[in-house]
Amino acid sequence: MTFNILYVEDNSDNMRLVKRALGAKGYTVHEAPNGLEGIEKAEELTPDVILLDINLPDIDGYEVARRLRQSKNTDLHYIPIIAITANALKGDAEKALAAGCDVYMAKPINVRELWARVEAFVPDSSE
Amino acid sequence: MSYLTELRCYDCGQTYDTSKVQRFCPDCQAPLIVYYDLETARHELDRDEFRRRPAGMWRWHELLPVHKKENMIHLGEGDTPLLHLPNLGTRLGLSHLYVKDESSNPTGTFKARGLAAAVSKAKELGITKVIIPTAGNAGGAMAAYAARGGLEAYIFMPKDTPEANIKESRIAGATVILINGLISEAAGMAGEKARAEGWFDVSTFKEPYRAEGKKIMGYELAEEFGWQLPDVIIYPTGGGTGLVGMWKAFKEMETLGWLENAHRPRMVAVQAEGCAPVIEAFHSGASFSDFWVGARTVASGLRVPKSFADQIILNDLRESNGNADAVSDEAILEAQKKWAYEEGIFAAPEGAATLAGLEKLIQDGWVQPEEKVVLFNTGTGLKYLRNIV
Repeated sequence: MTFNILYVEDNSDNMRLVKRALGAKGYTVHEAPNGLEGIEKAEELTPDVILLDINLPDIDGYEVARRLRQSKNTDLHYIPIIAITANALKGDAEKALAAGCDVYMAKPINVRELWARVEAFVPDSSE
Repeated sequence: MSYLTELRCYDCGQTYDTSKVQRFCPDCQAPLIVYYDLETARHELDRDEFRRRPAGMWRWHELLPVHKKENMIHLGEGDTPLLHLPNLGTRLGLSHLYVKDESSNPTGTFKARGLAAAVSKAKELGITKVIIPTAGNAGGAMAAYAARGGLEAYIFMPKDTPEANIKESRIAGATVILINGLISEAAGMAGEKARAEGWFDVSTFKEPYRAEGKKIMGYELAEEFGWQLPDVIIYPTGGGTGLVGMWKAFKEMETLGWLENAHRPRMVAVQAEGCAPVIEAFHSGASFSDFWVGARTVASGLRVPKSFADQIILNDLRESNGNADAVSDEAILEAQKKWAYEEGIFAAPEGAATLAGLEKLIQDGWVQPEEKVVLFNTGTGLKYLRNIV
């Protein structure tokens, strides 16, 4: 069984890293380069896990998380959201969790930790 | 001459060239570990010869990453006293209780060791501008070593960092940026600035060499104890460089054949109850710590919501059959007083946390009366006067 991960991220380096890391474990990673596209893709795909950057070019990740948790697609109310940020502002972690994210990770993204965080929600697809 | 050979990613083992500027593994985004040709060193180095050299961290230069003497920036770091604690020991029922007192380092803390190594290596690699996020003391140390080595220093620190750290950094010529946040936020901002300006980011474990300076604490301990390691080491854990560095030193000394006893110490990480990500992860069996939300403690050096090397710290603690404990701010301040009036040592709150941690471990029966126990006082209490009532 293949699990679908949606990664909402505008930084192409991070996107490449995460796609390679999760692809190696058999996950299918879908890309969204901004918050609005992220919400649209989440509603369309209903992924198994959402990785969400906070500093996005349109609406920020907190707003994305809030809208996902209030979406008409009620599956999105419960899908695990992992916030990933460079935590450049005070209280990013608190705000991310308050907005509905389940886990907070700081950049740089350690690949083993990313695997562990994702596997906590959905099994490694490569096995 | 240094026996330095290569850097290896802690996670994937990929090797990296030490003659080039390196930070962390770009593939795994995990710390890089420094390797030496210890097999050759084993045949060429005489452990007892080191004692005859001029005091200081650089007497171990073969096992440090800097090749040329002119790049080794020296301010008198290392060879801090290992003191027996008879009064505290008697009260606690321990006859072999010691403190490695790091307060005599330049800038008053153990941070001098790591920054001496990292800034020296940066200089050797041709780097001219260094940047660091800090809870305080690492910034002061970096400013001093950068000044001495002729590098420009940029420091991001929380605005409520002890005044001594801000002033010691500025007087050494560093540009200090005070931020409304903790070291984790400072790390994000410093990282962005480093990328934008091309400056070298000396954040904990985001470059390979700070841990090398810190590891020398392990070599000194072994030498001071006649090449026998103690039973228990209790260490205040923020970023964890010292704990990881010492554990590396013990492994290196085993490979070098320098140790007289077979067992390594049980390592104990102590954190504050208001910021205890490693403690929580250790006891839950996790491989990584969760980011600690709302970190608060008087021990500003322990206000690290997540270490970049958390998996290494946790692995080392477990490999050592060690332990991890969180102590309250009240217990830290009380321990600071006890240490001062029972032994005359005015410890930093981070150091005092180890005494508070020891008291809990004794209550739990985890430390035995005959065991040789070493506490680490990582700095002088004089930098934290606002905590003193």
